[in-house]
Amino acid sequence: MSALGELRTIGHRKVAGSSKEKNENKAAYLFLLPWFLGLAIITVGPMLASLYLSFTKYNLLQPPEIIGFGNFERMLGDERLHNSLGVTFVYVFVSVPVQLGLALALAVVLNRGLRGLSFYRSVFYLPSLLGSSVAIAVLWKQVFGTQGLVNVFIGLFGAEGHGWISDPSTALSTLIILNVWTFGAPMVIFLAGLRQVPQMYLEAAEVDGASKWQRFLRITLPLLTPIIFFNLVLQIIHAFQSFTQAFIISGGNGGPADSTLFYTLYLYNRGFANFDMGYASAMAWFLLLIIGVFTAINFWASKYWVFYDD
Amino acid sequence: MRVNRCTAKTTVFVALAATTALLLSACASSGVGSDAATLSDEPVTLSFTWWGNDLRTAATNEVIAAFEAECPNITIEGQFSDWAGYWDKLATATAANDTPDIMQMDEKYIATYGERGALLDLDTTGDAIDLSEFPESALATGEIDGGRYGIPTALNSQAIMVNPDLFEQAGVPLPDDENWTWDDFKQLGAQISAGGGGDVFGVQTWGFEDGSLRTWARQAGDSLYTDGEVSIKTEAVQDWYEYMLAMVDEGVMPPASTVVEKLTAGQAESMTATNRAGMGTWWNSQLTALADSSGAPLQIMRVPTPDGGADGSAYYKTSMFWSVSSRTEHPAEAALFLDYLANSETAGDIMLTERGVPANEKIREHIKANLSPNDVAVVEFLDNLADDIGEVESVTPAGASAMEGLLSPFTEQVLFGQATPAQAAEGFVAALKSAVAAG
Repeated sequence: MSALGELRTIGHRKVAGSSKEKNENKAAYLFLLPWFLGLAIITVGPMLASLYLSFTKYNLLQPPEIIGFGNFERMLGDERLHNSLGVTFVYVFVSVPVQLGLALALAVVLNRGLRGLSFYRSVFYLPSLLGSSVAIAVLWKQVFGTQGLVNVFIGLFGAEGHGWISDPSTALSTLIILNVWTFGAPMVIFLAGLRQVPQMYLEAAEVDGASKWQRFLRITLPLLTPIIFFNLVLQIIHAFQSFTQAFIISGGNGGPADSTLFYTLYLYNRGFANFDMGYASAMAWFLLLIIGVFTAINFWASKYWVFYDD
Repeated sequence: MRVNRCTAKTTVFVALAATTALLLSACASSGVGSDAATLSDEPVTLSFTWWGNDLRTAATNEVIAAFEAECPNITIEGQFSDWAGYWDKLATATAANDTPDIMQMDEKYIATYGERGALLDLDTTGDAIDLSEFPESALATGEIDGGRYGIPTALNSQAIMVNPDLFEQAGVPLPDDENWTWDDFKQLGAQISAGGGGDVFGVQTWGFEDGSLRTWARQAGDSLYTDGEVSIKTEAVQDWYEYMLAMVDEGVMPPASTVVEKLTAGQAESMTATNRAGMGTWWNSQLTALADSSGAPLQIMRVPTPDGGADGSAYYKTSMFWSVSSRTEHPAEAALFLDYLANSETAGDIMLTERGVPANEKIREHIKANLSPNDVAVVEFLDNLADDIGEVESVTPAGASAMEGLLSPFTEQVLFGQATPAQAAEGFVAALKSAVAAG
């Protein structure tokens, strides 16, 4: 049974109404209280405040002034915003499939009972921990700079160097590569999923003469679809919210020529550089809507390709 | 009142040595306290923030210590950050009602904060701050809508940093900066690039900086802002971009991607600081740091004009202001500290020209004796310019603080051929106008 299946069973278990269990429930709620307070104060409160601010003109220094849907109307005519949406979509819909493909491929290779598995797993996982850090973004800037490692390497083959980050036609690609490089987190989840595929199916297929590729395509992959779905939802949401890399690599401005102006980066600049916090709040809620829509589409589409083995 | 306040706390010292009283001059120099703000009997703690490098921080901490020694009743808690982080932090702190009592303020932000009621009108502190040694033209830069929101710390002027070593290497004589034109500038640049063997260029960058656009506009009889509105004509910006493109085409400037890469690198990695550019537009006070990094005997020269010779386009930029939060609980003590920063010879001796050439003319004279040759050059450049300074340059209006952030995407589009100078100029002016309207 897959991990998701187990979770479901736990959810279905009927809670009996004995007083002992009620006390246990109380204890559980008590333990949940710190988390719940955190949620209310640090997450829900500010979210409600930002919802209110999205209907106001607010420059941070003076009290907000309610303007109805004014911010949303301005968003319709804001070309820089439309451009930033384009940049973000390219980033999300190129980097996530490539990243997941790579994660799955490596998970399959590692799952073959390689010696030193835990070592490789850790090494491949490491970039996921570091990938969205400032240090790695600074490193990336050096690696892809005019005098950077990439140019030194291609220089060995006599090719001419290129300012990868300072050229608007290649700057976004370096950020996509950075996101793909953080394939470790989905890879580890895939590895766990691969462990759940029952050996008897594979053995039975082998006895019936199915090739390795057929076994992967007909047995492993369908059984893995819930995990793929889980990773897909998570990574799309994650990619939409990317900020640090573009902020550091472009020096905060999404340059050159707005080619790395992620939606989140533009939002930040509107709020903190232009003191246009009402507009920035409206943008934040629009981002929530976009992520919500894509997640809903994902869930809807999952009915047609995700297979639950239970 | 205030004389008693500050001296009362130091009675012991006075008793020990009568001469110590001289040290109290800063606390006593401004006369009897004002009606508007009185000093507290209790110990007072003031928060104070600035942006800048380690050098500035060390000097500022030294000034704080000297002030605290004179006024033991007052404790100053200093905090610093880099330029970009500073404004994010100040904006959020102000939104959270947690503005520092005293802050280093910039020309681009003073209207944004002042007009929105975040800064104290310093005239309400009575005569606590002595302004008699400041030229009226400098003081005017801190007055917005009739309120005095900042005391000018120091003055700067646009200048061209010239690297004589690179001129010599290319076999080009140094220009006469009293008479040179933009055509001369471009031609010299091309010669330096040609003599530099591919790694050295005539001019390092163009098209990203507020001060150089303002100067260009003034030379065209235009002005970036007038009375709190964007007034520059798109033609002036277009000309500015066309000149930049001509420099790129003729090899005066490095290729577009190098220009962009240098943009996000620090000052110490700029082509001027690394001896790779013969000329560059900078503020005159940046000479010391640039010369330190480059090791070359850099020279400050006047900015070229379209026809050669002074045309009144030069202007003093207040390099920064001292401002006080409108929500401070201790306006009197904050004013006392501002007076110390602005008028104390001790503070002047410690800070020298690190923040620019002091706007206080008496302090400017006083520190001359202690300056390094480069610092003397910085001060003399500004002094010599005095007769050619034109009208006071309008302060950045509220909402336009992030002007350079709005400008750079358009400049980059021109550099990479994604937009013509005309399209980019129109786009930039529209974006700036809409930012001011939204502000």
